[in-house]
Amino acid sequence: MKRLFNPLLLASAVVLMTTNVAQAHHSFAMFDNKTFVTKTGTIVRWAFNNPHTWLYLNIKNADGSETLWSFEGAGVTGLIQRGVTGNTIKPGDTVTFMYCPLRDGRPGGAIGWVKLADGKALNLADGGCTGTEETSRKR
Amino acid sequence: MKLTISRWRLAFGTLVLALTPLLALAQGGGFGSGYGPPLKVIPAPQSFTTSEAHYQFLLTQAKGGTQHTIASVPRWDGLWVTAGNTHMDAFIEGGNFNGKVRAGVLTPAYEKAFKERWREQTEEGQVHYDRLGRCEPPGMPRFLLEPYSHEFINLPTESYLINDFGPSIRRVLIGKQHSNLYGTHSWYGDTIGFWDGDKLVLNTKYLYPADFTRWSPMTSNQFEAVEIWQLHKYPDGIERIEVQATFYDKFAFVKPVSAVYAFRHAAELAQADYRVIHWECDQTNNNFLDDKGVSNFHLPGEAGFNDGRGSTIFPELPGQTRDPIYNTALPAATSPAQSQSAPKGAKP
Repeated sequence: MKRLFNPLLLASAVVLMTTNVAQAHHSFAMFDNKTFVTKTGTIVRWAFNNPHTWLYLNIKNADGSETLWSFEGAGVTGLIQRGVTGNTIKPGDTVTFMYCPLRDGRPGGAIGWVKLADGKALNLADGGCTGTEETSRKR
Repeated sequence: MKLTISRWRLAFGTLVLALTPLLALAQGGGFGSGYGPPLKVIPAPQSFTTSEAHYQFLLTQAKGGTQHTIASVPRWDGLWVTAGNTHMDAFIEGGNFNGKVRAGVLTPAYEKAFKERWREQTEEGQVHYDRLGRCEPPGMPRFLLEPYSHEFINLPTESYLINDFGPSIRRVLIGKQHSNLYGTHSWYGDTIGFWDGDKLVLNTKYLYPADFTRWSPMTSNQFEAVEIWQLHKYPDGIERIEVQATFYDKFAFVKPVSAVYAFRHAAELAQADYRVIHWECDQTNNNFLDDKGVSNFHLPGEAGFNDGRGSTIFPELPGQTRDPIYNTALPAATSPAQSQSAPKGAKP
């Protein structure tokens, strides 16, 4: 029987509930926060730094090559209050994640949620990306 | 059964969507609002033309202030985070993101500038640019709402009000007069204060131009503040430091503006055994202002990328990476350009 409360759904809900009043130290004007994209990639670095965290991943292209993508998340103190630390995500981990892309098309954006290989869902979002699982589309 | 789960999902999603605007609007200033009873502004007891006149009035009322000892001075130990504020009420009708800019609060020049910020925020969803993106310190009054952790250390003759952004430290000299040996202003200016029982009363002058936050009005180099800090205790163990502030700015405000800000214990950070570590925005920040006046980011491999966990300028020596636990590496910023796949290996 399928679980009643999907952790990803819960993370999506928390993303919505915690990020409506943007708290970042900068504008989110560079992100298309109405477009929500889901991808899978391999973690290169989880930079758990202030003023913002950054998640760097290698993502496979159609021709088999890889591109490094960069995603901004909330600040350290905000994420620790959600139970996320600098050791929660490790290099080499394969994750599925949702993001709002950079408007200029470069490989990056604002992170929404991340789903780890063990199924655990994390809300890494700041105010720049508030989509849910249902609003995401795969690319 | 699938149908049942879908209904649950739909119900839960609907609940979230219903709650979201309520949370966002609970207190328009955001930044941790919703903790404890609603914040109420206590305006200045009478009209004053300057912050110093206001401060002197309060000092006289307190008969020169309370002389605390190290044993009696109020203690606000531990880590704190913001717990809401009312600053938007002063400038926006209704105090939330659906309101319009209040008329007659700001001077014409500052009202015009603020209306453009507000248009960007409400029509485009984002103010194009935030000065903190260039790693400027929050300054005053923004110090009062920054979401990074805060610490407040009280001694009989000094208090230290600390925000883990940068970091930013406001030093409060108890029982002193203002002094400015630099011949200019600064991000946190000069703050003097006195104790009135358990209330810490402050007067801050000599500040740089700054802002309340990026979607709120800018302030001038004549911005000054009178603040009254006090720890309040409410039922159910709720403790909140409330800061009743009156702001003076002859260039920006038609008349003084009052707001209340709040902080609560950072219980989640304490539970996680969090330690504040030194960080400087410049060391890790990749935000920049593009030629269209919009914030953007440098990415790995691009000219200008700042690799906060990269190597020092002596990579040939062992042990020079700033990521010694995971030893990750990103492409070096050698040319203006193309992002590339990250290296498979990293040098420790």
